[in-house]
Amino acid sequence: MDTISSFLTSDHRACDVEFANLENAVASQDWEESQKQLEKFSTDLTHHFAMEETVMFPTFEEVTGMTQGPTMIMRMEHSQMRNILEDLKADIEKKDKNHFFGVSESLMMLMQQHNMKEEQMLYAMADMHLGSLVSKVIEDMKAI
Amino acid sequence: MFNQGLSLDQAPPINIPFRFFLSAPFFGVLMSFVFFFVPFNELSNQYSHFAIGLIHLFTLGILSMIIFGAMQQMMPVLAGAVIKKPKLFANIVHSSLVLGTLFLSFSFILGIKFLLHLAVLFLSIAFLTFFILSIKLLFNVKYLTSTVKAMRLFSIAGIITLCFGLYLAISHINLNFDENYYIFVFLHILFASFGFALLIIMGVSFQVIPMFYVALDFPKFIQNKTPLILFILLFISAVFFYFDINFLILKLAFVVLMISFSFYGLKSLNNRRRPVFDATLWYWKLSLSSLIIAMIIWLFDFFESSYILAIVFAFGFLYSLLQGMVYKIIPFLSWFHLSSKGYFKLPTIREFIDEKYIKIHFFIHFISIIFFVLSYFQNSFIYVAAVLFLASNILFFINCLNAIIKYTAIAKTNPMDLSAFK
Repeated sequence: MDTISSFLTSDHRACDVEFANLENAVASQDWEESQKQLEKFSTDLTHHFAMEETVMFPTFEEVTGMTQGPTMIMRMEHSQMRNILEDLKADIEKKDKNHFFGVSESLMMLMQQHNMKEEQMLYAMADMHLGSLVSKVIEDMKAI
Repeated sequence: MFNQGLSLDQAPPINIPFRFFLSAPFFGVLMSFVFFFVPFNELSNQYSHFAIGLIHLFTLGILSMIIFGAMQQMMPVLAGAVIKKPKLFANIVHSSLVLGTLFLSFSFILGIKFLLHLAVLFLSIAFLTFFILSIKLLFNVKYLTSTVKAMRLFSIAGIITLCFGLYLAISHINLNFDENYYIFVFLHILFASFGFALLIIMGVSFQVIPMFYVALDFPKFIQNKTPLILFILLFISAVFFYFDINFLILKLAFVVLMISFSFYGLKSLNNRRRPVFDATLWYWKLSLSSLIIAMIIWLFDFFESSYILAIVFAFGFLYSLLQGMVYKIIPFLSWFHLSSKGYFKLPTIREFIDEKYIKIHFFIHFISIIFFVLSYFQNSFIYVAAVLFLASNILFFINCLNAIIKYTAIAKTNPMDLSAFK
């Protein structure tokens, strides 16, 4: 049976692969392909945020009563990452490979430390606190 | 606890890890003077007072300094373990570690016994403060990961290393070297190298290699079992030494564990998904390759003196890895703190330290290790090695300082003001 942890962690890994595909396209300076990969990565990343922000986080907040806690900080970091996506887009449009890799490294580090906090603490807490609601939460996230 | 761990407000102020990182190369500079001025035959004899002083400039001034700085940053992020009074804690640990290291090393190098009394006092304060709090925080963590487990073992091994060290220091103070003295020397070295240093490096590598380089995870067995097996082996070693049982089979077990860890680390780095070149990869690869070489040298006792083993292990393995980590952590923390404070536009992580200078530093560091090794065969090369080591540490300091200057200049401005980094 899926847990929130296994479901969302595997989605993190899928985003990592998309991110690496994007960097590979930029490394080979195939700007058309880079554009496509950025769109794909952005769609997947923002879809992941949407699953958390519209389904998992509200349920977690309702059950635990923690609205100003971990979910609030995760939302703030999501917003930081959304902003960086805009910078990446601008670099691809300008075909600025060097700056792109500086920005992409910032995103990568932010994303990885964010994932680490979610995977190691938040998801484990969610699985524990949500109990019988876990399968419904996963179904609702899949429906997005 | 979780809530606190995720908040940047609960992470230590950025100047705390920076202070620890910037102090390390200062001890590297002191080491280079010792290498330059002390006769080689004294340096290469691990029981000489000069060698004891030199080794502790490294293990306390560089290794412990960087590990303690990094741990204060990592415990909240990786384990959700928050230090409540981070400034007070850092002030006590940092100042007593600096003073204790200087007193201990120079009591041996200059032969001033009085300094050893002070060293015992200050190092006890530094290590007990650090480890008692770490143990308290880490053993209260609810959600256990391989990293948290390794951090716990590291903290216990650290306390034990300190106890052996204190016993040895008191033996030197009282000039009372009983029949157990050499057993304690060996156990102190073993717990310091495989317990204190390797357990934390392993634990952090399991997280940091996949995170920094978008690389493969270590196999589950390596992540979950290696630190614990290593920890148990340390205690079995103590029994073997006490009863004078042949150590070869245990030595083999240590070597197999270490080589497996290095092999999977290198495999992970070589199969990373990110295509971008990153100079810190050189440090990691040099480090893990050096660990393999050191283990082979140790297993077969290739050389009469343990000088080459110490050089390859300390500078090749440990210092390379520590420098590579610091070059990743400083730019990330600078960027992350500024970004979280709402600065609208920032330099990218790669712009905080010019990669060209990281490469030059790596080259000098690598060549210095080669000359240190060559010195064993041609003693006069130690002068070249010492000068290169001096240059390497100065450059390491300047590179880190440049990033911190950039951070400080931006942090002083209004978040919406873009002029500071133009």
